[in-house]
Amino acid sequence: MTKTIIQFSILFIVLVLLQAMVFNNICLFNVAVPFVFIYFIVYLPLTLSANWVLTLSFIAGLSVDIFANTQGMNSLACTIIAMSRHSLLHFFFPREDELSIPEPSIRSLGQEIYMKYLFTVVLLYCTTIFIIEAFSFFDIWRMLLRIFCSTLLTFLLLLGLDSVVSRHD
Amino acid sequence: MRNLLDFFLKYSKWFIFIIYVIISCMLLFNGNPYQHYIYLTSANKVSSLVFKTSSMVTSYFHLHDINEDLQRRNASLESEVICLNKELARYREEAIADSLSRDSSLVQFDFIIAHVISNSVSRANNYITIEKGRLDSIKPEMGVVDQNGVVGIINVVGDHSARIISLLNPKMRLSCKVKGREYFGSLVWDGKSPHEAILEEMPRHEKFKKGDTIVTSGYSAVFPEGIPVGTIISHEKEHDDNFYALRIKLFTDFTTLSTVRVIRNNMKDELMQLQEGEEND
Repeated sequence: MTKTIIQFSILFIVLVLLQAMVFNNICLFNVAVPFVFIYFIVYLPLTLSANWVLTLSFIAGLSVDIFANTQGMNSLACTIIAMSRHSLLHFFFPREDELSIPEPSIRSLGQEIYMKYLFTVVLLYCTTIFIIEAFSFFDIWRMLLRIFCSTLLTFLLLLGLDSVVSRHD
Repeated sequence: MRNLLDFFLKYSKWFIFIIYVIISCMLLFNGNPYQHYIYLTSANKVSSLVFKTSSMVTSYFHLHDINEDLQRRNASLESEVICLNKELARYREEAIADSLSRDSSLVQFDFIIAHVISNSVSRANNYITIEKGRLDSIKPEMGVVDQNGVVGIINVVGDHSARIISLLNPKMRLSCKVKGREYFGSLVWDGKSPHEAILEEMPRHEKFKKGDTIVTSGYSAVFPEGIPVGTIISHEKEHDDNFYALRIKLFTDFTTLSTVRVIRNNMKDELMQLQEGEEND
């Protein structure tokens, strides 16, 4: 238990700092932005109560907001994916009791289900972020392009990250 | 009572969800950029410490570009110094007679040098953080320039750090004019590229050429007149046919920003008092 808490605290700090220092400065071809820190929310154990998932996700979003000066944008999107995370998993993977490890990863869910789950969460996140951004400049094609490219980039990065993080169990 | 408690416990996650969404939306739709809480922006203690540490490393990467800019600037200043020296020599000969010294209170503007510790160009609303703050006598609504041109305006100030609204932010409007003319318009960013912005509300009957220089108009107390901003690339019609919108290539390279100068206007208080007096009449 304590070991898990320490593990997740380290993951939280490393991911938020990585996002603030490195990934917030990346904007491929002026359209694709990687949101790597949401892996923390994706990876939270399924046994954790929904209240905790919401609170931790909100704090993660708020921390990134503070570094990126995007008042409320990431925290809103994080709260939304935290809320829909459980129902999404349930939709793709109804046999939750059979899970060997409480954390969703490619190893515990299998390749296909995990990829579906990850892609939907990332797509939901990017859609929220760029719809909020569209309040400032409204350009529907640019918005759709940014959603598509950012989702793809984030998805690929998170798949890579998952194979690194979930191996250490 | 028990039922009520059960109800709250059963749906607690929805309540928590709604509370977080409301907090986020309050932060998100707080329209006035000058009213953000200092501890929720990158000018707070922890994040400015983190950014300072990382910029100590990354500031080396831009040295080449900055060096080149400085060389160019140096060259143009040098040639200006030579011209001015010639002129000065001529005037000195003419006016040895009345050699009254100027009152020092008339020196209106001076500069505070600051280093950029965090910067963004890819978001819809971009901000810059610098490592000087209230203790270095920086106040909100001071103008910021770098060696090439206008950068932005200070908006949130901490003790040792401050946040600048970048020119690449739709909340920022800058009053500008074409160098040598009197017509002025306002410069806004359209979010498309960090190297370009739009100068709106230029009168239709004026003729503009590609490559004309755009400078600040000096109609506000924030920037002095004549600070270079950019050059004209092309002009487009606005929705309202009486005005042009000019596409401007900005002189300031926001992607490699490292050292900036904050402009302190020593006569700002006086100007503000004057303007307030006008409103009260």
